[in-house]
Amino acid sequence: MANPMHQFEVNRIGPEIKLGDIDISFTNASMFMVISSIAILIIFNLGSKKNSLIPNKIQLLAELSYTFIAKMINDTAGSKAKPYFAFIFSLFMFVLFCNMFGMIPYAFTVTSHIIVTFVLAAFIFIGVTIIGFIKHGLGYLKLFVPSGVPVVLLPLIVVIEIISYLSRPISLSVRLFANMMAGHTMMKVFGGFVISLGIVGGWLPLSFSVALTGLEILVAFLQAYVFAILTCIYLNDALNLHH
Amino acid sequence: MTKQSFKTRLEIAKSKISKKKLYKNNQPSSSLGTAFKMSTELVAHVVVGTIIGFILDKTFGTKPWLILIFFFVGVIAGILNVVRSAKNMQK
Repeated sequence: MANPMHQFEVNRIGPEIKLGDIDISFTNASMFMVISSIAILIIFNLGSKKNSLIPNKIQLLAELSYTFIAKMINDTAGSKAKPYFAFIFSLFMFVLFCNMFGMIPYAFTVTSHIIVTFVLAAFIFIGVTIIGFIKHGLGYLKLFVPSGVPVVLLPLIVVIEIISYLSRPISLSVRLFANMMAGHTMMKVFGGFVISLGIVGGWLPLSFSVALTGLEILVAFLQAYVFAILTCIYLNDALNLHH
Repeated sequence: MTKQSFKTRLEIAKSKISKKKLYKNNQPSSSLGTAFKMSTELVAHVVVGTIIGFILDKTFGTKPWLILIFFFVGVIAGILNVVRSAKNMQK
């Protein structure tokens, strides 16, 4: 049976490039990031080039995704979060396209590597913290002191709040990474069963495999959505401070 | 008479729209999203609490104690947050 983890191996493409001691060569992971970014650029350039009153398919896709994200930001973070629309939109699209390109057979799933998702999450975490301190100054620390708590319990509550604040990037990155990796491993394992059980018993894992592919496409979309909506929620905490 | 009937019809239509909106907010995909969110948050709090305890233990040299305390604080924080988000969902 083929190794189900083989699909997550990072291979170098082209020459080895070194910056000091750090290996910064172009890999298959970076290739799929570039591919998904280019696909996003092409789709949204085509979608926004010709603004006809009756939209064609690509324009409809671009407009639908725009209103989808705009509504999500407005619902979760309020109107103050409008300047951050571009960031959240590109974040959602990048994660979605990376997940979806991973669904193509033989493709590499960028988001199934924790370092990729953790860098995204850490970027969001640091950015949101900076925005919070810029908007509220030291008053942002009030986030850790909820109102209406007895003084005796306050030290414990503050520690708990700090832990829950610090756990944000970890839960954000682990969720995306674990879902993508587990799903793709499971698909590979069932695919391997089809081969090893042959034409007699292979039909059952094959049907599982088909069902899992549908589920994985749902998960790919859902995880991108959850990633974006949690960014909005964290942004909401930083912009409208009320705990 | 016609005005009255128009008003009632308008109200019926409005209530239908608001019902539809309510239904839209409870999309199955977004509730699946919150389920994912809550399950990972529960784990992440425990992990972060343990890491903080480990780091504090290393700096102060109080080997097993702070990691134990912070592990349980992390568990409490995780449960508290899940309860909090469940309460938010019920609103």
